[in-house]
Amino acid sequence: MATITCREFLAYLEPWMEGERPQDAQAHLRTCRHCSSVVSDLELIHTQARSWNTAEQEAPERVWTSLRAQLEQEGLIRETIPASEDRARDVAQAGAPRAGWFRTLFPRVPRPVLAGAYLAALVAVAFALSGPVNKRVNEARWLKGTQTSTSPLSAQLDFAEQNSNSYVTRGNPAVTASLHQNLALVDKYIALCEKSVNEEPQNEVARDYLYEAYQQKADLLTQMTERGENVQ
Amino acid sequence: MSTSHFVPAPWVPKAKWKTAGLLVPSLLLCSAVSAGPRRQEQHFKVAAHPVITIHNPNGLITVKAWTKTEVMVISTPASDRIEVDAEQMGNRVDVSTRELSDSVAPDDMRADFQINVPEDAELQIHNDAGNVSVANVLGDMNVETVAAGVDLEDAAGYLTVKTVGGSFTCMRCAGRIEASSISGNFRLLDLRSYHVWAQTSSGNILFNGEFLPNGTYSLKNYSGVIEVRFSPGDSFDLSATSLKGKVNNEAKLTPSAHQHHFMPRWGNALFGTFNEGRAKIEMTSFDGTINILKRD
Repeated sequence: MATITCREFLAYLEPWMEGERPQDAQAHLRTCRHCSSVVSDLELIHTQARSWNTAEQEAPERVWTSLRAQLEQEGLIRETIPASEDRARDVAQAGAPRAGWFRTLFPRVPRPVLAGAYLAALVAVAFALSGPVNKRVNEARWLKGTQTSTSPLSAQLDFAEQNSNSYVTRGNPAVTASLHQNLALVDKYIALCEKSVNEEPQNEVARDYLYEAYQQKADLLTQMTERGENVQ
Repeated sequence: MSTSHFVPAPWVPKAKWKTAGLLVPSLLLCSAVSAGPRRQEQHFKVAAHPVITIHNPNGLITVKAWTKTEVMVISTPASDRIEVDAEQMGNRVDVSTRELSDSVAPDDMRADFQINVPEDAELQIHNDAGNVSVANVLGDMNVETVAAGVDLEDAAGYLTVKTVGGSFTCMRCAGRIEASSISGNFRLLDLRSYHVWAQTSSGNILFNGEFLPNGTYSLKNYSGVIEVRFSPGDSFDLSATSLKGKVNNEAKLTPSAHQHHFMPRWGNALFGTFNEGRAKIEMTSFDGTINILKRD
């Protein structure tokens, strides 16, 4: 099957969002990461928009009236169909294929204008949603990345801590006390840094402090172990 | 070549001496001398730029520069259960404290040192507890402690200090300074260093020194206070960020023309240039306070 180009796929975008899935468009999406990403984003936007409160997204009738008047005034709507003719068209279309969701929304708006408005709206919605959506996605990625890198480290340090505690019991009491006090201090900082990172996963300053605290703990445990070996 | 002298520490007689017989006090005296601290003095002839290493678990270590081309080590162990070894290998003198038996109490593992070195000597000191004091030594220096404080005066060269809980004071130091600690406080006074890197977690950092042209000064802690003092004639490019704390500034900063800072999205931050911005100062804290104050 000959696949279509990205430019050609754009023509399928609106029907695709309405549920139409032509085979050549499907084939293109399977091979084109760019268009696939665009569709994924649009579907995400669509899902997000549908999850909004219905009362909030349902514009009052006066808004549509005003919008229609504005479009007519600017010449973007060239025909005004009387209500009776409108009803007749509805009857005639009864046996025709289902009209698109944008078409039903603006039945009298010419399709090119509708497409332009649709794209403009998409861009606006994308801009509006890309921040929070990307932010959430990025935060989740950052958090996962941080946890992936620190979890094994944390486990190893905990294991080392359990071993080193038994080493330093015979050392100088002042040194032993200092090591334990500072270990507790570092543990406290690790906890606080982890809290900050969980709250703001993209906060590179908090992440740096967390990594440094782990480094300090590793250094401290090394010292404790070395001293333990020295006194045994 | 080394020479050494063993000098018993003075033993203070008690009032009961007058009423005691001759034999008993003599025995007591012998016993006291053998059990008391043994002051040991050793001398080592060295060439230029000698290296002196000191490993001691606990005690006061005082190092001073002198004009002689020799190293003098005076050690005072706390008990006869430990011994101080000082030996020369070429132009290096190694001083260390070691236990003579396996059952040495922690309190007995202590020795104090007074060491004189040529001023171009390089020092490597490891002392867990007590204190380390170095004056007028211009060679490179590495000091590591756990609880011991570190005091450097009129030092130069490449100075690296690492403590766990010990404080660090550097007075009239020059050269390059790198200091790190977990809970130790840092006091950097009357410095003439072109490179300072100081990092402590819960300790305070006070910097009161010159900002040399092209010098870099990086001060970082987790909590506590970072304080920098400046004079009207100083010239620096400044960046101060406290993630969850405050930044207090008395310097009239201007936006830097050659600054490449990205404004951080988190915390309280301050960027700017004072005069020509010749030195570079970076201060970072997690939830501590950063003070940029006029010098009195």
